Amino acid sequence: MRGAITTVAVIALAALLLPPLLAWGYADIDWDAVRAAPFSAGHPLGTDSIGRDLLARTLAGTRVTLAVATAAALVALLIGTAWGAVAGWFGGRVDEVMMRIVDALYALPFMFVVIVLMVVFGRSILLVFLGIGAVEWLTMARVVRGQVMTLKNRPFIVASEAAGASVQARMTEHILPNVAPVAIAYLMLTVPQVVMVESFLSFLGLGVQEPLTSLGILVHDGADDMDIAPLTLLVPGAVLVTLVVALNRVGEGLRGRMAR
Amino acid sequence: MRAILLRRLATAIPTLFAVVLASFFLMRAAPGSPFDAERPLSDATRAALDRAYGLDRPLLEQLGRYLANLAQGDFGPSLVYKDFTVSALIAQGLPVSLMLGGLALIVALVLGVGGGIAGALRPGSLADRAIDLAASLSVALPSFVTGPVLALIFALWLNWLPVAGLGGPASLVLPVIALAMPVAGAVAKLTRTGLSATLAQDHVRTARARGLPPFVVLWHHALPPALIPVVSYLAPAAAGLLTGAVVIETVFGLPGLGRYFVQGALNRDYPLVMGVVILYAGLILLFNLIADLLYGLLDPRARE
Repeated sequence: MRGAITTVAVIALAALLLPPLLAWGYADIDWDAVRAAPFSAGHPLGTDSIGRDLLARTLAGTRVTLAVATAAALVALLIGTAWGAVAGWFGGRVDEVMMRIVDALYALPFMFVVIVLMVVFGRSILLVFLGIGAVEWLTMARVVRGQVMTLKNRPFIVASEAAGASVQARMTEHILPNVAPVAIAYLMLTVPQVVMVESFLSFLGLGVQEPLTSLGILVHDGADDMDIAPLTLLVPGAVLVTLVVALNRVGEGLRGRMAR
Repeated sequence: MRAILLRRLATAIPTLFAVVLASFFLMRAAPGSPFDAERPLSDATRAALDRAYGLDRPLLEQLGRYLANLAQGDFGPSLVYKDFTVSALIAQGLPVSLMLGGLALIVALVLGVGGGIAGALRPGSLADRAIDLAASLSVALPSFVTGPVLALIFALWLNWLPVAGLGGPASLVLPVIALAMPVAGAVAKLTRTGLSATLAQDHVRTARARGLPPFVVLWHHALPPALIPVVSYLAPAAAGLLTGAVVIETVFGLPGLGRYFVQGALNRDYPLVMGVVILYAGLILLFNLIADLLYGLLDPRARE
């Protein structure tokens, strides 16, 4: 797990801090070096089909992908926690209806729901993460509901009720702080999923739009140009896979710790 | 068995209906129109187009007409592919997608279950660890990366297989592998975990003690209950294959449903997108149903 955290940190820090130090910006076109080979003409990883620096583009894409993933995971956390907490707290009929809705949504091809949302409301980066967050909250809702249900009848909660604490106070002061560790562990497991969904959408041209770039767009452009410049496919692809694997490791490690 | 089926249908049908309603209203609420071209249309042309496609009618009437047509298998006209109905496009694309998805599912189950068995029979061996690593990797690799990378290696560099397009069995090899990989990895992990648990159970020990051949013990006693997690993964797997197919068909230029769906989404071809979404939702609900029925076959305890 330590290795995974280091990997994520190195990639994230490189994406945040390195770009200003590079000679070329991610959208700058070097007309003298179209499809340059690595280590040539001042481009460490070479350039793409219209002469943009591959290293700068990969870092910029990583940054957008990470930003979208974090934002979408937070949207999922917000909706999922609220939904799960209400269902778990009230129980009975309310719980039944709310969880049935979650079950029904689980059965849907959610990737297509996101795509439909993109088609309907136009493609913008704001909608990309709102849309992804709006479908990725289901597991979070289930987890939080389970936690709230077991917490609800624990002696300290019952005691606070007997002591006259309001529903609101019990929720914010006793239940939510106890749900938080598990919710955060699942938040970390949501992030790699969102990275995949964002890249998938951007790969298809339905996510982040030019001039912004993301790992999905880079993989797509690289695939178009792979016969001449294979690195334009392999570099962003490798970064994406490393990031997803490392994030999954971190999430699984955290979940393992919280489950104890 | 029948009770399970009825109970599942009782939730599946309203879900499908909700999908139809939701996608209908979402599409109508969408800003912009499929007729938005680079050159603005004159008001008269616009009105004529709206009238021709019934878009000038009240919303409820449009919905009623859509549902009535849907009940007869008619998804309406495509707004972008002129002279084609959505049903005709689906009829063209579905066989390609079903063949791709079906082959990928078979490959994934054979590789996954086989790998899982091999790992569980010799826990801790080199083969077990190698299979586990391969499974972890293939689950983490997104198909839009593996697809192009496979094409780069096996089509462009080694020249063994065609790069893209549909023609002959060779053209399906790479798409099927790319599509099957994540599912195979997940199935291998589920089989490995399930089988090592059942191998330690009393009924398996009894079967062994009675001197049954190892093959019979594995095949009749240990494997069926171990496959239950695999079966409950079938429905998400089907969803994964459908979404994966969207990318794989785009990458390898196969004329399947997924490619029509992406084109429809990019072109704002609402009836086409709606039709494909409804069809996909129906397929996934069907897979859920099949998974539920398979439970009963594999584990008598689930029949109640």
